[in-house]
Formats: sequence, structure tokens, C-alpha cells
Amino acid sequence: MAQPTRVCIVLLKLPGTPESATVAALARLGAEVAVEAVPSASAAGVRALEIDVDLIVTDTGVPASELRALLERVRDEGPPVIVVLAEDDSALAMDWFRRGASDCVTAHAANEALPVAALDLIRRHRASRERRIAERRIASLRRTTRNIIQNIHSALLVVDGACRVTYANAPAEDLLGELHGSLIGQVATRWFASDAATDLPLLRTLAKGERFRGTEVLLERADGQRIPAAIFCGPMRDDEGRELGAVAILQDLSEMRRLQRQLFQSEKMASIGQLAAGVAHEINNPSGFIDANLFQMEEYVADLRRLWRRARSLESAARSALATGSEGREALRVELAAWRGEADELDAEFLLEDLGKAIRESREGSERIRHIVQDLRTFARPDGRERVWADVNQCVDSTANIVWSLMKHAVELEKDYGELPPLLCHPGQLKQVFMNLLMNAYQAVVARVGDSGALGRIAIETRLDGGQVVVSVQDQGVGVAPEVLARVFDPFFTTREVGAGTGLGLSTAFHLVSAHGGRIEAESREGTGSTFRVLLPQTPEGRGS
Amino acid sequence: MKPLLLIVDDEIRVLSALRRALRKEGYEILTASTPKEALALLDEREIDAVLSDHKMPGMTGLQILREARRRRPGAARLLISGWPEAVQQRELDALAVQALIPKPWDDAELKAELRAALR
Repeated sequence: MAQPTRVCIVLLKLPGTPESATVAALARLGAEVAVEAVPSASAAGVRALEIDVDLIVTDTGVPASELRALLERVRDEGPPVIVVLAEDDSALAMDWFRRGASDCVTAHAANEALPVAALDLIRRHRASRERRIAERRIASLRRTTRNIIQNIHSALLVVDGACRVTYANAPAEDLLGELHGSLIGQVATRWFASDAATDLPLLRTLAKGERFRGTEVLLERADGQRIPAAIFCGPMRDDEGRELGAVAILQDLSEMRRLQRQLFQSEKMASIGQLAAGVAHEINNPSGFIDANLFQMEEYVADLRRLWRRARSLESAARSALATGSEGREALRVELAAWRGEADELDAEFLLEDLGKAIRESREGSERIRHIVQDLRTFARPDGRERVWADVNQCVDSTANIVWSLMKHAVELEKDYGELPPLLCHPGQLKQVFMNLLMNAYQAVVARVGDSGALGRIAIETRLDGGQVVVSVQDQGVGVAPEVLARVFDPFFTTREVGAGTGLGLSTAFHLVSAHGGRIEAESREGTGSTFRVLLPQTPEGRGS
Repeated sequence: MKPLLLIVDDEIRVLSALRRALRKEGYEILTASTPKEALALLDEREIDAVLSDHKMPGMTGLQILREARRRRPGAARLLISGWPEAVQQRELDALAVQALIPKPWDDAELKAELRAALR
């Protein structure tokens, strides 16, 4: 709304009234002031409510009833009104003042008093009109801001220096599971689950002015439910730079986490698919010899039955020899020779010894199958939400065992496990990481040795180094160029042919390790091999992946 | 003279089971669990048939059979594998391999293949 610059005065002057002092007095205000004469109080009332009118002047001769109606009409919203009185009459003037007139001027003094009063009132009217417009704008701005803040899909919290909530939007109430309006005044730390409460981003912002961009935190809702969230926060200062507290935006990561878990799980299933052929081969060996051994044992048992029947004949011959004396001895001699002949023919000594051996070997085979299946099953099983204490060496070793069946024809595997403390982690995720690194190492080796029958070395080493658990996988494979190495953690980046890998192995590994507060380092030289190092802090930050 | 059979597998338990299975077949059986042992036996002994596993560290079964053909062209060649799908038919044809036997194997089939190969 543009502020009219030209001053506009509406003069109520009834038709037929003689030229008065009022008109002359107003003319003294100069050409900048437009004086618009209207012939009736009702016309003046209509005109008065338009924005460009700065002042209404009522000339003498306007009937009191019409003047009253006009004053009534413009009283709250309209411009100021100056009533020109025919004569000095202070009682009448007081009455008009009461009814809303801004000023009263007597006609004979109008020449001097009217312009002064008019200018003063116009100035004041304009100022108050500007203020009203500004107030309306501020109110509208406030509404807009409030709508924006309430309608963004992120939770907004403002806290004072003592971390007490001074402002929260509706999504914040929803996210934290609190009732409308109940957040104000509460200490915000109550909604953050953390092992080290002093490490909370919000508190670090208040204490040291640190800023956080998307740091992961674990929220604890009013109903006790824990949800992962990203926090963006920084100090809040007033225009003079004084610290007022902190402002934080929280974003619910549960859905993203769920999708990520799904993606990681399908990546794992894809690698298991790749493994399956190798594992089947690994099971075929023990299953092959167990099967053959069982078949053979069946034959051994048939042979031993024959021998047992001989033994029974021998027994009854011996009994009759004992009962009858000399005539039975001849029959016994015949039976004995037959028994010996049978035992020699069947190679009874060997049979019994080999039967024991076949059973032992078969049991060893079935034990092996049990291990393979168990390893595969613990590998495929998704982790629970909570971290558990696990032995990283054991995670590495069981993963190496699964992969071994696939790679043994091309790989010489060296394991060097250092002493490691238990780690609070998601063991299944770590196994997936090691699996991806080992599969990559294996493929790099195969790309180098091919089907030549030569072996490429893969060395696994675990160490505790400066409070970090370090697992390194080093291969004598083809290695990669620096520009390839720079991209190996990108999702869907793969150097393999289509179908030979998901392209998600290393990016998944990277994410899983980050979720443990750790990182992966990679080194590679073309034609020499690569080393991937997983570094896991012993005490990860309170992240809720 | 008993036919001389060389069995090659990196799994000694498999060697032991195969030896057991063929006990009454009337062969003299030699076993090797590494390519080196296998090649040494091929050089030293008048071997009539070679039965080799395929996926092994150091050398594949096909490579062993190729060596066997070079050193003992008259010896029959058979391959046994827990992963028979990984072996290409044209590779078998190129080396005139008599049989590809899957693991786990059927004793009767194994014996029949060996008898046929040694006929």
C-alpha cells in the first residue's frame, strides 16, 4: 500500500452556504494540499474512509445531527475531524470533542488557527496510519513465520543457556511424543539417550558454541521409545551477538535407517548368493566321502555278519565237541578252518580297523558340514537393534572360514590375529564388512592369477592400535589406479562386469563402519595389490544405527 | 598285473573314502594330495588311469590331467568335482577326459566309469 504523498482534505460544505472563512483559511495551506468539497455529511462519511483522506473539515452551517452522524462514522478508523464553529462556544466545542472531533476552530479565528491545527493533525494522522500499517505487516509476518515453523517437517527446538526449551514447533512435540505446549520449560537433555550425556551436541553448543550438521543422536521419547535422529544445531545470538542459547533442528532417521538396513541386508544376501556355489562345493566334499563311507560300512557290516554266522557255527561245534568228546573234535577242526578261511578272505582285521576309521572320518565330515552351515547361518542372520559385546577376531575368522571355500583354489590365506578387547558392536554388520573386503581381495587375486593354478596371497591382520581395533586385509591382486581407488566407496561403482557384483559392497562396508564410529582406509598400487584397513574405536560415539 | 590307478584330491578324507570304495575293484591304488606328489608319481610309476579332483590349490584337475596326458599318454583320464557345473565340456573334450564324476558320487557309477575307462 503506497503512502499517498499529496495531502487531501475533505471539506464538508453544504450547498447554498456563502463563501466562508474556512475555504480561504484552507487555501493558505498551498497548492500541495488538495481541498475536496463534498455537499453532504453522508458523502463526507463515505469519502472519509478512503485511504488518501488526511483530514475532514466541517464548515459552519452543517446541522448538528448530520455532524454527529459523521463523527460517529469516522470515530475509530477514519481521519481526524476539525469542526469549524460559527461562534466561540466552549460548551459546544467540548461536546464535539467528546463526540470525537479532533479540534474545534471558531470561524473568525479560522484564518490563523485552522492551517496550524490542520497541519498538526495531518502529521499525527499520517504517523499513526503508518504505525497501523506496520503493525499489520508485523502481525502478518509473525503469522507467516509461525506457519512456516509449524509446517516444516523437521522438529525445531530453541533452548536457553540452561538448555530449557523456550520454543518448540508441532513436529518437535510429535517427534518427542509430548503433548502440545508441554515442552516449554523442560530441560531438553531428557529426550536424548546417551551413554555420555556431557557429549550431547546441544550441550556442546551451549558450552563451547560448537555447531553440528546432521550428527546422529538417539532420541528417547516420552513413551520410552528410542529413535535415531540427525541434529543440526548452533548457538542462537541476538542482534548484538549476545548468546541466548541454542537452536536445534531434529530429523527423524528411523525410516532412512530402515531402508538402509534393508539395502544392507539385500547386499548381504547378494554376497551370500555369490558364496553359495563355493559353499555348496565345500559341502560336497565331506558329503561325498560320508556317503561313500556309509556305503562301504554297509558292506563291512554285511561281511561282519557273514563272519558272525561262522562264529555261531564254530560256537555250536565247540559245544558239541565239549559234550561228545573225540568225535566232535573233527567237526570242530573243520569249522575252525572254515572260520579262519572266511576271516582271512574278508580281511577281518582290516575290516574292523577300517570300520572304526570310516566312522571317525565320517563324523569329522559331518562336523565340518555343521560348521559350514552354522557359519553361513550366523552370517545371514540380521543383527538386533542393540549393540552387543563381541570378539572381533572371531568375527573375522568365521567370515574368513566361509569365504575360504570359495577362494582356496586361488588363494594362500595368512591370518595374524592380535589380542583384542571385546567390542560393543553389531557383529553381523562387521562380518559383512570383512566379507566384502575379503571377496574384493579374492576377486583382485583371481583377476591376477586367473585359472593358472598359481596362488595369490591374502593377509588378514588384526591389531589394537592407539585405542582402535584395526583389521587389515591385504591382497596380492591386480590393484587399482588412483582414480579408481578414489571412487571405490561410491555406491554402484564397480569394476566388475555386470552381474558379477552389486557395486554396493564397499559403500555398504563404508556405511557400516561409519555407523560404528570408525572408518576404512584404502591403499592400492596397480599390479601390486591393495590394502583395506578398518579402524574401529573402542568407545564409539553414541550413535543409534 | 593289477591296473595302477592314481587318485588326486587335496582332501585326504576323500582319498581315503575313494580308496575304501574301490577296495574290491582289483586296482593298485596310489593317492596324491598335492599337485607335486601327483606329478612325481606320474613320472615314477606306469600309471594306467588318473582320477583327479578339479578345484585344488596350486593346480586344477584339468591341469593335472593335461600333465598326465603329456607324461602318460596311454593313461585314462577322469575328473571328479563337487562343482561339476564349473567345468566346460569343451575343456573335457580337448583333453579326451573319459568321465566327469560329480561329488557326492555314486559308488556303482564310479566303479562302472573306471572299469569302462580301463577297458
